[in-house]
Amino acid sequence: MRFFPLIMVCVVLLSCDGGLAPLPPAEPGFSGTITFAPGSWPSADSLVNLYLVASKIYPLDSAKVLNGLFSVPPEIFLYPDLTKSLPFFVDSISYSFPLPPGTYKYVGVIQQVSSDLLNLGVRVFRVVGYYDDASNRISPSNIIINDNNHVNNINIRVDFRHPPPQPF
Amino acid sequence: MNNFLLYIILASLLHSAAAQPETGSLAGSVMDTKTREPLSGVNIILRKTIRGTVTDSRGNFKLKGIPAGSYDVTCSLIGYTSDTLRQLTIQPEQELRLEVQLTQAPIQAEQVVVTAGRREQSLQEVPVSVSIVSSKMIADHVSVTLDDALRYVPGVNMMQDQVNIRGSSGYSRGVGSRVLILIDGLPYITGDTGEIPWETIPMFQVDRIEVVKGAGSALYGSSALGGVVNVITKEIGDAPEFRFRLFSGLYSRPAYTGWDWSKKNRWNTGGFLSYADRIGSFGYLVSVSRMTDESYRENDLYQRWGVYSKLNYNFSPYQSATVSTNIQWRSHGEFFWWKSLNEATRPADSQLGGEVNSARGSVSFAYKEILSEKLFYSLKAIYFGNFWQDGFYGHVNNTSAAHSAQVDIQATSETSPQNTLTGGIVANYDRIFSDIFGSHPGAGAGFYIQDEFALHPSLKLTAGFRYDWQRIWKELFASPAATSPSQLNPKIGLVVTASPTTTLRASYGQGFRYPSMSELFTSVNTGLSSITIAPNDSLKPERSVSFEVGGSQWLGERFFFDAAFFQNDFYDLIEGGVKPTQFVIQFNNVTRARIRGFELGMKADMLKRLINADISYTYIDPLDLSQNTVLKFRPRHLFYASLTAHYWQWQLETNYRYVSRIEAIDENLVRLAPIIDGNVRVPCSVVDVGLTYNLTNMGLPLNVGFTIKNLTNYYYVELLGNLSPVRTYYLSVESAW
Repeated sequence: MRFFPLIMVCVVLLSCDGGLAPLPPAEPGFSGTITFAPGSWPSADSLVNLYLVASKIYPLDSAKVLNGLFSVPPEIFLYPDLTKSLPFFVDSISYSFPLPPGTYKYVGVIQQVSSDLLNLGVRVFRVVGYYDDASNRISPSNIIINDNNHVNNINIRVDFRHPPPQPF
Repeated sequence: MNNFLLYIILASLLHSAAAQPETGSLAGSVMDTKTREPLSGVNIILRKTIRGTVTDSRGNFKLKGIPAGSYDVTCSLIGYTSDTLRQLTIQPEQELRLEVQLTQAPIQAEQVVVTAGRREQSLQEVPVSVSIVSSKMIADHVSVTLDDALRYVPGVNMMQDQVNIRGSSGYSRGVGSRVLILIDGLPYITGDTGEIPWETIPMFQVDRIEVVKGAGSALYGSSALGGVVNVITKEIGDAPEFRFRLFSGLYSRPAYTGWDWSKKNRWNTGGFLSYADRIGSFGYLVSVSRMTDESYRENDLYQRWGVYSKLNYNFSPYQSATVSTNIQWRSHGEFFWWKSLNEATRPADSQLGGEVNSARGSVSFAYKEILSEKLFYSLKAIYFGNFWQDGFYGHVNNTSAAHSAQVDIQATSETSPQNTLTGGIVANYDRIFSDIFGSHPGAGAGFYIQDEFALHPSLKLTAGFRYDWQRIWKELFASPAATSPSQLNPKIGLVVTASPTTTLRASYGQGFRYPSMSELFTSVNTGLSSITIAPNDSLKPERSVSFEVGGSQWLGERFFFDAAFFQNDFYDLIEGGVKPTQFVIQFNNVTRARIRGFELGMKADMLKRLINADISYTYIDPLDLSQNTVLKFRPRHLFYASLTAHYWQWQLETNYRYVSRIEAIDENLVRLAPIIDGNVRVPCSVVDVGLTYNLTNMGLPLNVGFTIKNLTNYYYVELLGNLSPVRTYYLSVESAW
C-alpha cells in the first residue's frame, strides 16, 4: 500500500490528455453515423466489401458506379477507397468523408456482392441504405458541399433484410 | 371546531408539561483518542429514547431535561468507531459530565444506518450494499447540491442531473427517476415529472446520506427500481448554535478560443447561514441559503434563494414531534445541448433566451413515540409543491403546478431478542395543473411488513413485502385516465457473520415505478426542433428484480475489503423513443434489460493513520435484451479513488473519478433534435483536490478550504452535447459556534 500515493499520481497524469477538443478546421465533405439494424447482418460469405458512396449522378446501377469512379473528373466517390471496406458486424460506424465541392444527388451504403468488378454484366453492387433528410422520406436527398464546407449529421440506417429498391 | 382543536393541543401540552418527572442533564465533550482534537458533529444518542444531540465545533454537547434514571449513551461519528457508555445514572437536578474519546476507524463497520430496514441497524447487519456520504465529505467537496455529493459513491454515476445506481437509470432528462430520493425517510420526487429536485435539498443541514443499492420497493414503493438515496438531516442540539458556510468559485477560462464565449471570468458563489437553539423542550432551526452561478456556458445562469426551518418539540424523552419547512426559488437559463463541439459552451440557437423559473417547497411532519423498550412507532407526512414556468426572453410558454402529499405510519416491534417486526401503511395524493401534462388527480395507498429474525447468533434472515395501489383520473374519482396494475414486491435477505472480521450477505428484492404524469400525458411541441412529444396513457409500471451476493473482510485494523456481485433484471422499461418518420417522441414500455456486474471496494489506513485511502471499482454489463445490444446510456466501468492525508490542522484530499465512455446512445435523438456533434463523447477522468485548515485550536471555530475541481481541466460530457464543468477554483469558509 505504500505505492498508493504513486498510483494516485499516475491517475492524475492519465487524466491530463485534455479530453474533448474542437474539431480541426473543416475539410470539404460530410460526416455522420451509419447504423445497422440489429440482427440484420448477412452471412460473411455474402459480404465482399461495404462502401459509402457519394454520387453526382442519379439514378445509378452497378455499371454506372464503376464508370463514375473512373471518369475524369470522377462523378462518384467511395469511402473507403476501392481497395478497402467498411467494417462488418458492427452496430454503427462514425465516418468523415472528404469530397470535392459539388452537389451530390445520391449518398448511400452499397454492398459489393461479387469480387468480379470488371464484369459489367454482373450485378456487383446492391444498395443497402441511403441518406434522406427529414423532409423527404421517400427518395434520396441532395447534399451540397461548398468550398471549406463540411456537412455534419449525414446519418444513414442500413437494414440488410429490407434494402431500398434496386437498382439505385 | 377550531377552538376545540386548540383546546386539545393545549391540554396535551399542559398535560405533558405537568407530567414532567424530576430531571437532570448530561454534558461533556468528545475528542479524538490519538490527536486529542475535539470532534464536532458527533451524534450523542440516549438509547431507548428519542433524545439526542450533536457536538459543536469545540466538541462539546449538552442534553437537558432528562428524567432521572439509568441510560445507555451512544456516541457515533462517521469515520470513527462508535462507543456506547452503559448504565449511566442521571440524578435529579444534577449534571452528569462525560469525557468521551473516539478512535478513528477506516471503515463504516460500526456505523448505524436507517434506510435499509426502515430502522436503526449496524451497517454490518444489513443484507444489501449501502454507502454513506457524511456531512464532512459534502463540505470537503464543496458540494452545493446532492447530485454533486453522489459523484464519488461506489457504483453510482451521474448523467448530469440523473442518478444511476449500478446502471439503473440510463437517460431521460430526469423525467421518471428510477432511484427514489427520501428526505428523513419521506419521498421527495416531483408530482408532475417524477424527477428529483436536486437543488432544493437542504445540503447545509444534511447529517449524512445513505445510498442503498438494488431494488427497494418492498419497503419504499414506487421509483425504488435501482436503489434508494435517503438524505438524513441534522438533529437540533440542546445548545444554541450559529453556523455559516461561504464559498466562491472561479471557472477557468476555456483552453480553446471557440469556447471562450464570455471573454471574462465567470463566478459561482454562495452561502448558507443557520441558527438553532432549544428552549426547554422546544427546539428550532432556521437556515437561509443563496447561490449564484454565472456558469462557464452561455444562457446557463443560475440563481436561487432557499429557506429551511425545523421545529421540534419533545413531549417527553419518548415522544417528539418535528415540523420541517423547505422552500426554494430558482431562476435558471436553459441549456439543453450545445451549438456544436466547436462552440461547446454556447447553446443551440433555438435555446437562446430560454429560462425556467420555479418555486418548490415542502412541509413535513414527523411524530415519533417509544411506547416501550420493544415497541416504537412513527407518523410522518409530507406535502411537496412544485411550481414552474418556462419561456423565452420573459415571455411565458408553459406553466405547471404539482401538489403531492404522502402519509406514512410505521411501527417497529422487537417481539423477542431474536425477532424484529416492522410494518406500516402509506397513502399519497397528487394533483397537477399543467399546460403540457394536463390536469389530473392521482392517489395511491400501500402497506408493508418486514420481519428480521436471527436463526442463529451469526445468521440473520430478513423477509418482507409491500403491496401498492395507484390510480390517476381525468377528474377525481371519474373514469380513470390511466390505470396501473397493483404491485406486490417481496424481499428477502441473509447476513452471515462468519467471524468477527468476516461478513457475508445475500439479498433478493423487487422494484417498480409507476409512470409519471409527464410520461403519461405530455403533449407539446418542444420548440427546440421540429419534434413533438405525444401522450401515452396506456403505459405500464416498470419493474425490476435485483439479486446480490457479497461479503466484507477486515485485514487487521487497517484494511477493509468489500465485494459484491449483482444482477438486476428490468422489465417494461419506459423509454422516450423517437419515431423518425413521424417526428414524434413518445414514452413506451419497450425495453427488457439485464444489468450484471460486480463491485469491489477497499478502505485503508496508512502511515499510522496519517493517510486514508478509499478505492472502489464497479463493472457493469448492461444488456438490452429486446434489441440484443448494449443498453443505451450506461457506462461499463466506474473507478473511484480517494486519498486523504491529515497533518496537524491540515487536511489534503485527492479524489479521482473514472467513468468509461458511454457505448450506446440514442442516435435518433442526435439526428433528429438535431444535436450537432452529439455523438462525440469520451471517458470521464477527473481529479479534484482540496486543502483545508482548521483554526479551532487557535481559538477560532473556523475551517478554511481551497478546492480545485477538475484539476487537469479535462473536457468531457456526461450528457449528449453538454460540456461538463471545466476546472474551477473554490475558496470556502465554514464556522460554527
